Amino acid sequence: MARAREEARDSQLVSGREPTSRIIRVSVKTPQDCQEFMLAENSSVHHFKKQISKRLHHDTDRLVLIFTGKILRDQDILSQRGIFDGTTVNLVVRTRLKGTLPGPGTLPGPTDHCMHHSEPSTSESAGMLARLGRLAQSSPELTDFLGQLAQLLTAAPESVVQFLENPVIQGLVNEKPAKARQAPESSRQNPQKPEPTLKALETLQNPARQQELLQANKQDLEALTAVPGGDNAMRPVCSDIQQFMLFTLAPLVASKGQNPASELCKEEANAHSSTDTTTTIPTASAPARPLTQKVRAGQATQARSMASNQTHSGCGPRMPDINSGHNLLSQESQQPIGKATLTSQLRPSPSALRKALHVLQQNPALLHQLASGSPLQHYLPLLPILTNPRALQALIQIEKGLQILSKEVPGLGPCLWGPGRGTREPPETRGGGQGQRAGSVQSTWAVLQLLHALANASSQSTQSSLSSFSLPEGCFQQELEHLKAMGFANHDANLQTLMAVGGDIQVAIERLLGLPEAQVPPTDAYSVPPHGEGGKGRERGRGGEGK
Amino acid sequence: MEPPNLYPVKLYVYDLSKGLARRLSPIMLGKQLEGIWHTSIVVHKDEFYFGSGGISSCPPGGTLLGPPDSVVDVGSTEVTEELFQEYLSSLGESLFRREAYNIFENNCNTFTNEVAQFLTGRKIPSYITDLPSEILSTPFGQALRPFLDPIQIQPHGGSPVGRPNGQS
Repeated sequence: MARAREEARDSQLVSGREPTSRIIRVSVKTPQDCQEFMLAENSSVHHFKKQISKRLHHDTDRLVLIFTGKILRDQDILSQRGIFDGTTVNLVVRTRLKGTLPGPGTLPGPTDHCMHHSEPSTSESAGMLARLGRLAQSSPELTDFLGQLAQLLTAAPESVVQFLENPVIQGLVNEKPAKARQAPESSRQNPQKPEPTLKALETLQNPARQQELLQANKQDLEALTAVPGGDNAMRPVCSDIQQFMLFTLAPLVASKGQNPASELCKEEANAHSSTDTTTTIPTASAPARPLTQKVRAGQATQARSMASNQTHSGCGPRMPDINSGHNLLSQESQQPIGKATLTSQLRPSPSALRKALHVLQQNPALLHQLASGSPLQHYLPLLPILTNPRALQALIQIEKGLQILSKEVPGLGPCLWGPGRGTREPPETRGGGQGQRAGSVQSTWAVLQLLHALANASSQSTQSSLSSFSLPEGCFQQELEHLKAMGFANHDANLQTLMAVGGDIQVAIERLLGLPEAQVPPTDAYSVPPHGEGGKGRERGRGGEGK
Repeated sequence: MEPPNLYPVKLYVYDLSKGLARRLSPIMLGKQLEGIWHTSIVVHKDEFYFGSGGISSCPPGGTLLGPPDSVVDVGSTEVTEELFQEYLSSLGESLFRREAYNIFENNCNTFTNEVAQFLTGRKIPSYITDLPSEILSTPFGQALRPFLDPIQIQPHGGSPVGRPNGQS
């Protein structure tokens, strides 16, 4: 057969034609089974993957083909990689997609631009803030959570930086814009938006102007009063409050990172994020407005005119609420802003955020439950989550998963957020000197409750090793102690064995000793093999032998 | 695109009989066996092996068997740690479940052979994979088979390899 193949090849070469692609048989081996595929030898790996995905019903994105230890790329040709007739290729189906997608969207672009001029950490963190804002828009309940997040983070600024510098989160930031771009209504605005803000960025590299900008919180707040309406009554309120909170967060990050340029990145990032929903465009004009005072006016007005072009008819009744809230905010913050130092800017933020959350409370459309004056205890367990980068990473993944869930199963939304409110017992307090905190906790706990429900309901091992392994451990606590007392020191092996045998400690011991189970008699020292006679009540059996 | 990383793949070979097989096999089996081989794959700075407890992993040389008696270089792989973990989880649910362990048919060396081919396309040395058939081809081996068959070998010191962050 090989000879025939060779002859065919030679004849083709002689005839001067390109060797036509022969159909070859390639075996695809998965951990579960092995299947054969017939396809042309000069087809691409991508084509091969499509065939596989058709037969095995998996996404092509999840397929990873490995041949002689090399991962096959989509653009490779089979014959180039040495895959001929009769070869076997290994296949692994990923259970989840790769984390970071290359972001063609607007956000990574300007963020990269930022990086030329400022420290990478702060610029990416600014993009991160925008991403947080967008998350808030997509899920109104998350605004509460993020509001509380903001509150907590003001108390622990290091965790902000840690949180934002986490490369996973930054990866997610880059991923988000890829999705954002798919929103049809924003596609128009995207090309226009980057330009004015990019120019603004360049011109504002002057350090003197940067300092002035840092004290421009007040103007940001005032600008927020110009909130136009939108389709969704809730969304503009949520997003505006969120944007505002993030504005006040940004100087925190800036002061930590010692780089005022983050402010610029933040504002411009917010400008980009606002292209998602038309209602947030005025907030883009908010940073644009202080910018105009220092930059060529033309660009900002261009931004603002674009904004006004897109505003829908007002949301009238909502505006007074927002305005009153924001007036409160601006009043509150005007006094502290009189202080020029960077560090003092930490002080307005907590109070301003507090007021913002008061506004949230006042607006019933926003919150599902009011929990004014809810104690600090409810927030404190979030602290370890926030300071632990891995926990944050897990939380982000949960958020993503919940988003996907709510997208895939819209009807599930109310069910997800409804149950489990306020049923969580308050955990122990830790240093209650955090000051007053307002706002509701229910949605946070709904998220955590859902997490627990998923962890318990899922048949496979769950998201966090803590929650997954604590359950069987708890069941077998007694047995584990027995085994340890007997000298089986390997806790993991003990637990594993116990789980396998369903908690039967006798069988577990036998397994751990490595004895074949069938041959070891039950260690019942008191069993009496019934003898015909002489059974004069001799209770002790001869269990001692034969072991 | 930058060239992908290449990770070395090694095979750790242990003689479970600690030299006894070499001395006694001519007498007992009628043929010379150099050892009773237990193998594991070392990649991404971790040792992976299959025993009666399923697929386990430990730091290289971290089982009770101690350091390996010999190390064979299998080659290099582009497979990342994450991908490898997914692959192992899949294997652990299909071909190499804990209950599927059999000292002759589906043992640690079967597993190692499978993984080596996945990672590099190469098999492990044949003197290791031929061992069961070598033993069973002797009258002594045949006679002992019913007693040997249920033996479960599980080197202690490792922890099981499970499915990470279960989402499917």
